[in-house]
Amino acid sequence: MSARKRVLYISSPIGLGHARRDVAIARELRNLVDGVEIDWLAQDPVTRVLEREGEHVHPASRWLANESRHFESESAEHDLHCFQAWRRMDEILIANFMVFHDVVREERYDLWVGDEAWELDYYLHENPGEKRAHYAWLTDFVGWLPMEEGGSHEAFLTADYNAEMVEHIAAHPEVRDRALFVGNPDDIVPDRLGPELPLIRDWTESHFDFAGYVSGFDPEELSDTERLRTELGYRPDEQVCLVTVGGSGVGKHLLRKVIAAFPEAKQQVSNLRMIVVAGPRIDPATLPQADGLEVCPYVHDLYRHLAACDLAVVQGGLTTAMELTANRRPFLYFPLKHHFEQNLHVRHRLERYGAGRCMSFEESEPPDIAAAIGEEIGREVDYRPVETDGAARAAERLAEMLA
Amino acid sequence: MRAVEPDETGFVRGTYWERFGDGDTTVLFVPAWAIVHARVWKMQVAYFARHFRVVVFDPRGNGRSERPQDPAAYSEHEYAADLAAVMDASETDRAVVVSLSMGAQRALLFADAYPERVLGMAFIAPSLQLAPGHSERAHYEKRFGEQLDTDEGWAKMNAHYWRRDYRSFIEFFFENVFTEPHSTKQIEDTVGWGLESDAETLIATALGPGLDEAATREITDRLCCPVLVIHGEDDRIRPVEVGEALAAATGGEFMRMPAVGHCPQARKPVAVNLALREFVDKAATGTRREEAVHGYS
Repeated sequence: MSARKRVLYISSPIGLGHARRDVAIARELRNLVDGVEIDWLAQDPVTRVLEREGEHVHPASRWLANESRHFESESAEHDLHCFQAWRRMDEILIANFMVFHDVVREERYDLWVGDEAWELDYYLHENPGEKRAHYAWLTDFVGWLPMEEGGSHEAFLTADYNAEMVEHIAAHPEVRDRALFVGNPDDIVPDRLGPELPLIRDWTESHFDFAGYVSGFDPEELSDTERLRTELGYRPDEQVCLVTVGGSGVGKHLLRKVIAAFPEAKQQVSNLRMIVVAGPRIDPATLPQADGLEVCPYVHDLYRHLAACDLAVVQGGLTTAMELTANRRPFLYFPLKHHFEQNLHVRHRLERYGAGRCMSFEESEPPDIAAAIGEEIGREVDYRPVETDGAARAAERLAEMLA
Repeated sequence: MRAVEPDETGFVRGTYWERFGDGDTTVLFVPAWAIVHARVWKMQVAYFARHFRVVVFDPRGNGRSERPQDPAAYSEHEYAADLAAVMDASETDRAVVVSLSMGAQRALLFADAYPERVLGMAFIAPSLQLAPGHSERAHYEKRFGEQLDTDEGWAKMNAHYWRRDYRSFIEFFFENVFTEPHSTKQIEDTVGWGLESDAETLIATALGPGLDEAATREITDRLCCPVLVIHGEDDRIRPVEVGEALAAATGGEFMRMPAVGHCPQARKPVAVNLALREFVDKAATGTRREEAVHGYS
């Protein structure tokens, strides 16, 4: 009888979206591979999700340098230059790769999974001799893209990083046993990786399998909105507006601005019930209060609330926006300034689905936000449907390596 | 954000130092030429601090250390005395001494003066007079104080040019340090550190007396600790033959890195970290490797 299969799962801690989808994939993987053991090398806030789900966080996780805190330290008022913040994370990434390396030097795993685990993917390609298990890479975007305001220098830098990635994969195709794109080919932006480089879509189609969108929830569970609303304590005669900024502390300025819009929004929508979710890294006590406004800390099953609300106000992160899209909820989204992924990759995908109303944080004052809330809340939407089998498809590809 | 913050900092002989971690064995990372400072070890510190006690310091002339203007203050003997002072101030009896580039000279002087305090020596891209330097650079280094009629290439290695356009020299220098493609971040970092010093200070450091070949060989002949030398084949600052000669002179191990420039610890950190780790484990007699590796459990 062969030994139990062991998986080491590394889930990006930048935001909470990866954690939720990775838990869904892990759940599907357990259905496919009998007795598979999954350890997680993870840090806050991912560990909060994992612990609530009863997943096993590897003790070496406590040695990881915190990437989420780094991103918070790099952010200004609703502004995060995500590409430069990532570049400046180089010493954190090597520190975390060395933690990973210590773990796998001592413990046998059959499969390493890295969901946007940049340190793992980069340093394995730099050091292919260090690969000693099957390895799968997951991502929901391919290609660093320059923001227009970054000018020619940023365009040069992003192209240089993309070129290095292209060269890495060409030189060492054996490193990634599977590369899974969380989404579909049409979700990919029409840009090139750089002036002398291929179109992102062409390159991704020839180097990735497409899992479709991976949702962190069971669609069956959420299909009966009436029942869900009752369970969550939402009355039929009220219109619920949920305000949430994901798992990092970067979103507190947006929360403040939406809170400032609450009195005027309440005038426009008399049965408005606004619930602000601060998230795991923002202290609700630091947010302003208003009569009738509800502010709560982290909500574990936030996706259920998002599925039942009449309107959501969010940042431009992919997971939350796609959960709203899949559940056909109207929403306002405010991409972080200078954040290429939210402004370019995610926006492109949401436009393809016809989902959400994109708003500028800088240009939207509280009355504008109140007006948009009034216009959008409870609106019937005609979004393109989102597939519900992404986690299962991703898990199938992972299971192939554990046969 | 730094990957790890120091557990202790101090200031001795005008030199700023930091300590990380509490392991039984200390790894002392010796700074290079004052065109950079201790942050040149940023890809090593967090990893080694998890397994060992790590001490780093800024060289006089850059970082948070003082910037004397007298070239005599920048002799390698002064730097070696700084190294000893940092060891004392950080209560480090013995250490594995890891140096980069010019740091090799002060590390050798220290090891020669205090052999009992050195468990082993690792040299990365050592800058020593053990083999001929790159000819164009050597040519202009001899004319460092002269007014030249050109600024091309290594003619930038010139006091007058530094006073005219310090930044351009710094950029030129680090573009030659990082010969590997896709090194934009490493070049940005090092140029930034170079700009923390200034032309007059760097001129003083360049005029500070170093070790000639005879003095170097006298020391290497006496050296009896374990030695590891790491050198990139594509090093345009100090040719790989220098590292090879040092390994031969000390009977040390030699790790030759193909297609690598003058700062492998920054550009190829995994390979360097793993080689250093193995070396420190071997050099640190009395430290049980199992304890260190299982430090996380």
